[in-house]
Amino acid sequence: MTTQTARVATQEEVRTVSADTALGTKVMKYLTTTDHKVIGNMYFVTTMIFFMFGGVLALFIRAELANPGIQFLNYETYNQFFTMHGTIMLLMFATPLFAGFANALIPLQIGAPDVAFPRMNAFSYWLYLFGSLMACAGFVMPGGAASFGWFAYAPLSDAINSPGFGSNLWVFGLYILGLSTILGGVNFTTTIITMRAPGMTMFRMPIFTWNILATSIMVLITFPVLGAGLLVLGADRVLGAHIFDATHAGAVLWQHLFWFFGHPEVYVIAIPFFGIITEVISVFSRKPVFGYYGLVFATLAITALSMSVWAHHMFATGAVNLPFFSFMSFMIAIPTGVKFFNWIGTLWRGSISLTSSMLFAIGFLVTFLFGGLTGVILASPALDFHVTDSYFVVAHFHYVVFGTVVFAMFAGFYMWWPKFTGKMLNETWGKVHFWMLFFGFHITFLVQHWLGVEGMQRRIADYGVWEGFTFLNQVSTFGSFLLGLSMLPFLWNVWITRKTPDVGVNDPWGWGRSLEWATSCPPPRHNFASLPRIRSMHPAFDLAHPDLAEEDEAEFAELFDESDDSAELVEGGVK
Amino acid sequence: METLDERQVVSVEAAGRSRPGPGVRRMAAAASAVALMALAGCSEQGARLGLPVAASAEAPNMGNLWIGTWIAAFIVGGLVWGLIGWSVIRYRRREGDHPVPRQTKYHLPLELLYTLVPFLIIGVLFFYTVKAQDALVGQEGEPDLTIDVIGQKWSWTFNYMEEDNPEIGTNAYEVGTLQEIPDLYLPVDKKVRFNLNAADVIHSFWVPSFYFKMDVIPGHPNSFDVTPNRIGTYDGKCAELCGTYHSLMLFKVHIVSEEDYNAKVLELAASGNAGSVPLPDSFVNTLPTPKAEEDQK
Repeated sequence: MTTQTARVATQEEVRTVSADTALGTKVMKYLTTTDHKVIGNMYFVTTMIFFMFGGVLALFIRAELANPGIQFLNYETYNQFFTMHGTIMLLMFATPLFAGFANALIPLQIGAPDVAFPRMNAFSYWLYLFGSLMACAGFVMPGGAASFGWFAYAPLSDAINSPGFGSNLWVFGLYILGLSTILGGVNFTTTIITMRAPGMTMFRMPIFTWNILATSIMVLITFPVLGAGLLVLGADRVLGAHIFDATHAGAVLWQHLFWFFGHPEVYVIAIPFFGIITEVISVFSRKPVFGYYGLVFATLAITALSMSVWAHHMFATGAVNLPFFSFMSFMIAIPTGVKFFNWIGTLWRGSISLTSSMLFAIGFLVTFLFGGLTGVILASPALDFHVTDSYFVVAHFHYVVFGTVVFAMFAGFYMWWPKFTGKMLNETWGKVHFWMLFFGFHITFLVQHWLGVEGMQRRIADYGVWEGFTFLNQVSTFGSFLLGLSMLPFLWNVWITRKTPDVGVNDPWGWGRSLEWATSCPPPRHNFASLPRIRSMHPAFDLAHPDLAEEDEAEFAELFDESDDSAELVEGGVK
Repeated sequence: METLDERQVVSVEAAGRSRPGPGVRRMAAAASAVALMALAGCSEQGARLGLPVAASAEAPNMGNLWIGTWIAAFIVGGLVWGLIGWSVIRYRRREGDHPVPRQTKYHLPLELLYTLVPFLIIGVLFFYTVKAQDALVGQEGEPDLTIDVIGQKWSWTFNYMEEDNPEIGTNAYEVGTLQEIPDLYLPVDKKVRFNLNAADVIHSFWVPSFYFKMDVIPGHPNSFDVTPNRIGTYDGKCAELCGTYHSLMLFKVHIVSEEDYNAKVLELAASGNAGSVPLPDSFVNTLPTPKAEEDQK
């Protein structure tokens, strides 16, 4: 059995080398692959396409809002565009991007040859692709795509208020997408629990791996609720069930089911990206992660709290316990604050190289902090009553979600591009990309806080001349087009570096710590020609800098025997 | 302009008196600083940190908390942004630096400090939040008048329930349309109870100048009290996506003297709008079921 597998692998390698250019071979390779690295790249390409599609929809929205009156879209099309913008960005871009990074990196970081269930992994990808295409196919159906907003509040989303096949496609497409995410969660959890290399204890895992584990657990708890909710909504729409009828409180029931999924979903798309940021900051500060245990427990705390805050989306419904959900939401600020201080602690007294990747990581810190502060404001019901469902909320969640997902995605791309492709991205174009994106983003969304507080409600196709919203909307629209253009330097960068020679070393940055930097760029079929000794949290660093290598045992001795002046001991060990 | 800003500071200080503490005094002092800055040249709206002009007696509960919370947020944010900026500038790699910085991994006392101190901050914030929200959603005592609001796609129905008011003696209603947005008249300094109900999908009743909104949910009646206290005309809108013409579901709030209000309601009743519009139950059990479709055939 083993020899057979080995022989197949060899043949595959031979074939890829000799006939890599043949179209049929390529198609077959992608259709049949179970290699986590190839599937990871497939996720990256697909999510980027959806990211750009969602972005174009956003540009239409911003163009329409640049002036009072209706210019480019009619009311119904506008509703379809923001509905699909939200759906695509959250469920077809950000969530599968987590699966992309997890696929590309988890087996490398824990020293495994692949994920635990490679075929199910491929199946997840194809479910994701077809589920997404199904939901987007609404655009070519009579009546158009779904237009009830990405949270599909009943009874607006029922068959009376939103007839049309596009809405059915949305419901069932999302169900399939959700299934794909659940299978991904099963796969990553199992991989991390069971497939760690000898010596890779749980508390030697990189923070990114910890965060994927926490995310997968959240997926396993909350996505089934979304799936069940969608099936029930589908039954209401197609079979004439009456579960979400308003006459027996179905309107509030849907909101509970949806947000029990919807709020943890925000952490599902945040926590993996916090992991990326942690790795990037550590590598480019040439320092180990500061407060590793604190970070792990902060992540686990957010995971636990994420299930108990959903009703802060429902403060204005008059149907929830305000103090409880307010307090639980405030509590989220504490582990998040711990993360911030640990990131700063990692930067502190480091030797910081401002590469493109690091710029994106710092851009994340600056941006996400503001999203966190407005998040604390929104957790207060007294303040939330005024600003909920206004542009203040729109601005808040773009600071949080764009600040996390997009900034961290590019930070990860610039750092791990050699690991994914073997090529190095161009640093100059990377910096052009960063500054365009950074200014484009802040010009677009900073002013939206002000608009919301002034009274601009969200999801409107039009506003009055007398309301005084025009100027700030025009600023926002200008920013959004700058933001849209910032994709061009990135795509150009990918294009011009596609044929450059491979980096040819394990760690082109020189200060990588986790295990993925101990294998070639890109890694061989089953990831490692040989595994290094894993005796600390940073085996690749120990391998590359044996003079600086430390072992956990020594650290523990310091921590427990001489905790008073432990910092000095650590210094002494290095200098 | 001056009077408004002063009122803000006074009310923040009044909040402080009821339970004096260093946090409150600091908040009040900082609020005074913001008010002074506003007097020095920024706009009135700037002094309110973006909020529109307040038009109800309850609004300052939110307005003061808004300013206090932002001050706290900017202090915390300023500290953290400062630390980020300092580390990036100060510890940026220069030529001649030692290739390996000190490999510090933890500092337990510091980590405990920044885990525990935030509890104090959210504790204070939570205390004032609960106070403000109780003032906003509480419904103690009988209101001076009641208005039953029905949200329907895509406008509002306002029922002035004034049958028992000796000066009016009749109910009256106004139904808005997409072409003609409805007017809502409210007497100044009278406590109004809004009963909110929806005829089709979820809407949300928002008058930005009240600093408050409440969802209008079919099958889930809601109610809140508000005391308009500033004569003028204000915008009202639906804040929850309710279908195609959601952005056109607007209304105008006219806060007028009691005499003008009585006259308006009587005028409305005399023009054929006497009585009230009950919640239509047409939305009940109208979802198509396979059986219903068969029956139609």
